[in-house]
Amino acid sequence: MLPTDYKIFRNVCPRNCYDTCGIISYVKNGELIKVEGDPKHGYTKGRLCAKGYAYTQYVYSPDRLRYPLRQYPRGSGTWERISWEQAIEIIADKILELNKRYGSNLALAHNKFSGNLGLLHYAVEGMFNSMGEHTKTIGNACLAAGFDAISYDFGDNINPDPEDMADSKLIVIWGANPAWTAIHQLSHINAAREKGAKVVVIDPLYTPTAAKADIFVQIRPSTDSLLALGIVKILMEQDKCDNDFIRDHTWGWEPFSSYVKEKISISLVREVTGITEEVIFELASLYGSTKPCANWVGFGLQRSMNGGQNTRAINALVGVTGNIGRKGGGLYYFNPTPNYFPQSLLNHPSPESRQPREVDINRFADDILSLANPPVKMLWVASRNPLSQDQNLARWQELLESLELVVTVDLFMTRTAEMSDLVLPATSTFENDDVNVGYWHYWLAINQKAIEPLYEAKSDLEIARILTRKLNELSPGFSDFPYELTDEDWISKEFTPKVLEIYGLANWEELKDGPRKCSGNKIPWEDRRFKTKTGKFELYSRDAKENELPAISTYNQPRNDIYPLRLLSPQHRNRLHSQYDFVPWLNDEHFDILKMNQKDARQRGIEEGDTVCIYNEAGLLSKKIKLSPYIPLGVVVASQGGLKPINSLMFDLPADMGMKESGSRGLAINDVYVECKKQVK
Amino acid sequence: MTIMLKQMGFIFNADLCVGCKACEIACKNENKTPAGVNWRRVSSTAEGVYLSLSCNHCDSPECFRICPQKAYSKRRDGIVFINNNRCDGCMDCVSACPYDAPQFDTITRKASKCIFCESRLLKGLDPACIVACSTGAIQMVNLNKGQSQGTVGMIDGFPDIRLTKPSIRFFPLQPRKRYWLQD
Repeated sequence: MLPTDYKIFRNVCPRNCYDTCGIISYVKNGELIKVEGDPKHGYTKGRLCAKGYAYTQYVYSPDRLRYPLRQYPRGSGTWERISWEQAIEIIADKILELNKRYGSNLALAHNKFSGNLGLLHYAVEGMFNSMGEHTKTIGNACLAAGFDAISYDFGDNINPDPEDMADSKLIVIWGANPAWTAIHQLSHINAAREKGAKVVVIDPLYTPTAAKADIFVQIRPSTDSLLALGIVKILMEQDKCDNDFIRDHTWGWEPFSSYVKEKISISLVREVTGITEEVIFELASLYGSTKPCANWVGFGLQRSMNGGQNTRAINALVGVTGNIGRKGGGLYYFNPTPNYFPQSLLNHPSPESRQPREVDINRFADDILSLANPPVKMLWVASRNPLSQDQNLARWQELLESLELVVTVDLFMTRTAEMSDLVLPATSTFENDDVNVGYWHYWLAINQKAIEPLYEAKSDLEIARILTRKLNELSPGFSDFPYELTDEDWISKEFTPKVLEIYGLANWEELKDGPRKCSGNKIPWEDRRFKTKTGKFELYSRDAKENELPAISTYNQPRNDIYPLRLLSPQHRNRLHSQYDFVPWLNDEHFDILKMNQKDARQRGIEEGDTVCIYNEAGLLSKKIKLSPYIPLGVVVASQGGLKPINSLMFDLPADMGMKESGSRGLAINDVYVECKKQVK
Repeated sequence: MTIMLKQMGFIFNADLCVGCKACEIACKNENKTPAGVNWRRVSSTAEGVYLSLSCNHCDSPECFRICPQKAYSKRRDGIVFINNNRCDGCMDCVSACPYDAPQFDTITRKASKCIFCESRLLKGLDPACIVACSTGAIQMVNLNKGQSQGTVGMIDGFPDIRLTKPSIRFFPLQPRKRYWLQD
């Protein structure tokens, strides 16, 4: 029922998600009673996903952390409620003591990533930067290999406007599942279909998106580069490439085309990808005859030792078919809109002489443990649940043992919070102000504080304020964090004249009337002025070669693994990584399952419903088996999060790329292999 | 039998539904039903094939016929209404309905079900499930107005319709090209 005496606020879902939805919140007597999609958000158009519609339960979950908690001994489950004053004092004392012991703050580390992508949540980074030298995480756990691939070929990462997919004639989705991870994109895809466009999904898994495609092509995991190059070969032979684009705007056509001619044979493509020649020719015929063609590279296919190559080969296909810089065409991956903003908290500078030292987020436990002079002794975790979502969890156990203080800021008692000394309760997005900008669509929205923080929850920014204030009280000048600035002050710092201009705003307060769309760059590379050193779209990359990578996109043989089953762990509809574990509305099915093909099961004497032990060099865990003929042979599929995180089987396997744009190689988590055995009771 | 002025009903397009469950949770967000009491439910009837069902506001509602407390009524707009105050939790309707529309709340010990977001309709708003659907797989129609051209009465996974004459029509799945791995 619609309430009559409510207040309305604008919020934004801050998750690490394509859609970054605009939300309208209904608040009655200070209570969030209902959420709706913001109809003024032009991309999400007044609709949310299942997780979004469950926000009232998320906010008022009985499992929400209410007060600062101290656990002693760590991991014992013996918790004691303490006051914020006590918590801040414990932390400040430790920071100052470590500073005295080691003569610097390098013994402090933080591990923060994408649990809340609001610009004000970079307060964590800002807080540590304000203390000068410390140990910070760099790199990108999600997208690093694909970033580099696009950077090598185009010179920069820019997405076409995803709303323009509605103008495509052919949409090829390489390994993405928007039905469950970007539901709003389907309305733009379906708009194109209504005008006659065809949708092709190429994926190892028969996802709900694949099930609705006009053409679904099942492919062996991480062999996409060969398929793309195979299609290019056919187009070359049939003279169906865009010769004008190739002549005027590409670099390295000669070596690229002779490489494809000599090294890529359709029988090799068939053999490796598992796709018949007939289908490869059908795809080539579609690419050769249909323009504009939009291509979406999903994140999964670059989480591989062949990940950057997969992306570069698809780039090349999009290039030689003349689909770059064309409305309704192009390559979709990620849009760097957040970089238009100064991100004042993230970029709060440390003094020149007191720069932080860096550790790789993808090899975090190993890297931290290898540090000396001084070793890391205190860890601050926020917006992240590494003990569920990181890899090399055995090393994490060692890391935890070496630490003197572990602080976790979260809304829930996550796996990581359970292994912390101090847990600080965080606000939900409805309980703090923020600014949120998408990394897929072109929209920007303001997130208003709709309700007071529940219990004693505080935002990352508020925690940064009280901790740095306390530190300066105890040791004047210890931090230069401007703790007197309000949330609104920080928001207004993000709105430089340039930002206001590209979003057509007179001032940021106008966002209270609705989200705004970025005006620039709607059709990237329309001017064909690529940002590579050659100024061309590079089929042959000297930069890649200099970085000891193949100059031309290629296919790397998969590593020989002693374990036979490739483990894939895509997003589940009801989760984002391990988030939403604590929302009853989203817990209506069994998550603790492993999907497997009947043939693989039969070989191992495994039947439907059996509990199996899954293991490899990284670890071991048990799950219930669900058989499915749609899972490729030699592949098993599990969801993320839960009590038995599948990442117990992940280790630091680097993707082929990532250094160029992210400073560290991506993760090849989709190249992790396991074996399964039926558990005998 | 009285002739209904209206027969409100749903059209479900199986070809558009991707099983995202936005409708199911949007219903809960709107109607505040607890976990386990789902006035709208999304189920998978085959790999990649989904069915989203609520109360079908039947022409001959079995819940209405069977309820000893006469908690159910069939309104002139076709909506099957339940008066919670009358429900004594006997669960006869729960077992009689072929579509699991009445949902039993084990805490309140009463049945409840979809009432077509009646209060939203009064304000000129569509039901929450329909607003939530990003693919337009659920639509609302007045079946007495003949707004269901091109639809069929039955799809795979939907229970036999002869008994209760449910007010739901379907757009069936379209054939698609599927190329499986050659092992």
